[in-house]
Amino acid sequence: MKKTFLLCASLMALSASAYAQAPATEKATEKVFNAETFTLANGLQVVVVPNHRAPVVTHMLWYKVGSADEPQGDGISGEAHFLEHMMFKGTKAIGPGKFSRLVRSMGGNDNAFTSWDYTAYYQSIAKERLPIVMAMEADRMINIAPPEKEIAPEHQVVIEERRQRTDNDPKALFSEQIRSILYNTSPYGIPIIGWKEEMPKITWDLAKNYHDKWYAPNNAILIVSGDVTLDEMKTYAEKYYGFLPKKEIGNHTRPDVPKPAAPVTLEFHDKAVQQPVFMRAALAPSFVQNKADSYALQVLQNVISGGASTRLYQSLVVKQKVAVDIDMNYDDSNRGQGSIWIYGTPAEGISLKKLETAIDTEFRAMIKNGIPDEDVAKAKERLIDGALYARDSVTGPAMTIGQVLASGGTLDDVEYWPARISEVTPQEVTRVLQKYLDPDQPEYQPVTGYMLPPVTKKDVKP
Amino acid sequence: MKKILLALTILVFSNPAQATILDIKEVTSKSGIKAWLVEDHTIPVISVKYLFSGSGAINDAPEKQGLARILSNTLDEGAGEYTSEQFQSILDNKSISLSFSTGRDDFGGSLKTLSKNKDQAFLLLNLALTKPRFDQEAVNRMIAANLTRIRSDMTDPDWMVARLLNSVVYKGHPYEMNSGGTLSSLPKITPDDLRSKVKNSLTRDRLIISVAGDISEAELALLLDKVFGTLPAKAETKNIGAVKFADAPSTVLLKQPIPQTIIQASLPGIRMDDPDYFAADIMNFILGSSGFGSRLTEVIREQNGLTYGIYTSMDMMDHAALFTLSTSTENNSAAKVIDLTRKEFERIKAEDVSAEEIKDAQSYLIGSTPLSLTSTDQIAGMMLAFQRYNLPKNYLDVRETALRKVTAQDIKRVAQRLLDLQKLTIVLVGDPKGVTPTETVTDLPNVK
Repeated sequence: MKKTFLLCASLMALSASAYAQAPATEKATEKVFNAETFTLANGLQVVVVPNHRAPVVTHMLWYKVGSADEPQGDGISGEAHFLEHMMFKGTKAIGPGKFSRLVRSMGGNDNAFTSWDYTAYYQSIAKERLPIVMAMEADRMINIAPPEKEIAPEHQVVIEERRQRTDNDPKALFSEQIRSILYNTSPYGIPIIGWKEEMPKITWDLAKNYHDKWYAPNNAILIVSGDVTLDEMKTYAEKYYGFLPKKEIGNHTRPDVPKPAAPVTLEFHDKAVQQPVFMRAALAPSFVQNKADSYALQVLQNVISGGASTRLYQSLVVKQKVAVDIDMNYDDSNRGQGSIWIYGTPAEGISLKKLETAIDTEFRAMIKNGIPDEDVAKAKERLIDGALYARDSVTGPAMTIGQVLASGGTLDDVEYWPARISEVTPQEVTRVLQKYLDPDQPEYQPVTGYMLPPVTKKDVKP
Repeated sequence: MKKILLALTILVFSNPAQATILDIKEVTSKSGIKAWLVEDHTIPVISVKYLFSGSGAINDAPEKQGLARILSNTLDEGAGEYTSEQFQSILDNKSISLSFSTGRDDFGGSLKTLSKNKDQAFLLLNLALTKPRFDQEAVNRMIAANLTRIRSDMTDPDWMVARLLNSVVYKGHPYEMNSGGTLSSLPKITPDDLRSKVKNSLTRDRLIISVAGDISEAELALLLDKVFGTLPAKAETKNIGAVKFADAPSTVLLKQPIPQTIIQASLPGIRMDDPDYFAADIMNFILGSSGFGSRLTEVIREQNGLTYGIYTSMDMMDHAALFTLSTSTENNSAAKVIDLTRKEFERIKAEDVSAEEIKDAQSYLIGSTPLSLTSTDQIAGMMLAFQRYNLPKNYLDVRETALRKVTAQDIKRVAQRLLDLQKLTIVLVGDPKGVTPTETVTDLPNVK
């Protein structure tokens, strides 16, 4: 865990906190969490992750729907996330704001988050309280009915949330634009929270329509992690969620982006910027789109950016000294296309152009020489060891499992992830490197961003 | 549906009995080094957290602000025979997390390892603490990374407001320094500075250790001597006085062309050994620390839609305690948010809080404790805090008893004592409308 000084741009869900690294286990054939699953007659999938270290549980309800499922082309964005806020604003039984108060009064924490593909609501609480929060969560799935006077203030709250997260922060604004160009014809290009200009047009009716269309037991996953057994959960799930009616659920449209003819480079000058930053984003398949390539890309990511001893940091920061920080992330958790992001901070006196050239040269060298077997073996071991740490948490496993299942993966994908990782060969790793990250491949058309101080400062030019 | 839920809400929750969650043992090594341990063999993970009390950034010379920070970044950059790359390779390949960090008061570190790699992990920790290399290349690299971090933070309004608050509240006290260093101080730091800091402040007399996870008492006793046994015995001490807070209110603005104003406000706070500490804890919860459900969130977010978040918090350091408010709002609403906040401060001083508010606060503050004890890291971290502040091993029980005794009168008394608006310092970053600052700054102190 080392020296990521900069820019952990949140590619994930709004308000989602640190995600456990995708899981793994010591012997690669063992299951990671030993979770169990069953499905109610109304289609609700239930997952139980027993963990008896402390008398607490995390109860999470994941809806397999997110901002990418909002109606497209209507000039309005952000209603999925607005709905998430309004879910705290009252049913007939539990008044506005009462939900969280009740949870607090029982010694629990609660919150929710929205992403492009999923929306999740959760409570962490003493195990004795589990039935109560289950009843409350089931209630708001079908009974959400905020009083009129709650709507306008909460609308302002989400607009303030955008100001705080994005509008006040040039890095966030620039990342948002890079993403919108990368995913130009896909709903993944639209910020979850909504465009600044489009958020004022959100209405409760729009949010409610979205709710009525998508919030249903057969479009949800219930995950309970902690001090609970499968038998208890069978009883509770049937009792509190079993009566909820099924709905007809539509398709999730996630068009692949047409292949661009040319790469795009953006140059962003802002007077708030003191430190130039290099960003690059490229499309790659998500896990559910292409599991084989995704496993190999996960290993590749770890080989080249899995710590201070790995390739990019050692070459660009330690040896060549063209960067002070460099990172590559692979976001594979989408239902549709995933992406690979590179962030670099140039060393003093190094232009972004020079850093870019050094990065390209590094990738060319890796492609030419192939990824060494030894590097692949080490990366696999690191990833698989990570599973043992992943179990050292109550909420972490629920997050990991929810994310995979909500984007179309299976529980076996999570449980046997270490076995799949252990099967990845060096040839596979080199193959995906060539396929998705080769600067000389005509298919590779990334979006590159230079973030810089105002042009008048002659000393820092791209 | 409605019926079931109404019945449930009427059950009004009595708290489940709080079993002793933390079974803490004190382990003493042959040479007398002590550690607190919670043994747990269900997961093959060991977490060690330790600190050197009073060895933090407060000791940095003003012209070398950031020394403790650079030390925390360079101790793992090679030690003994291992170069930086070799050292980092072992950490990466054995999935060992070894890191150091500094606060204003303390210098600390943490080690997390799978039990199968524990020998290697403890050896590396020993090497880092006793034979760090501080190769010039690595020191330069870490200084460069920190300079970058500062330049990048300079565009982050949350960072700016925190920095501004420190320099205003702690004016004239060593706490006003920037523990992350400044653009001009960091390049002055040399390997010799780092060596002398290790020798003079990472010492056994200041050491506090907590361990949780897959390790036995006997094994830990041996490892304590191996890892920490050869550290120097005593630290150089330095006399530092208590912070003197201003006794007049002030409002300090750093103007920035951003759409939202970030606001922090602070008052002198309360120490944990104060008889009114638990009353203050409950008052803080009701007023602002609980987020959802707090009075400030209710009025400023829920009713008026003026912010995404408003919180209060209580912090205690060796030479000061603070009560702090943080929020942000559109520039046009800054004056209104400040005004509504003042009104809530006055209300909790003037009127008794309700019995329900007290009960909810007690239920949360007591009942939520186990939620922060679900990983080996968290368990080790909580024990470390107990030791740092001389709290007993059964502190959770002591705290529960004390929280349950708090009355509405206690809360009103402590509110009147703490929320003295004549001492309120407000700092703002943004372009707020309708606020008249007592001082406007154009540059953040202790950054360049």
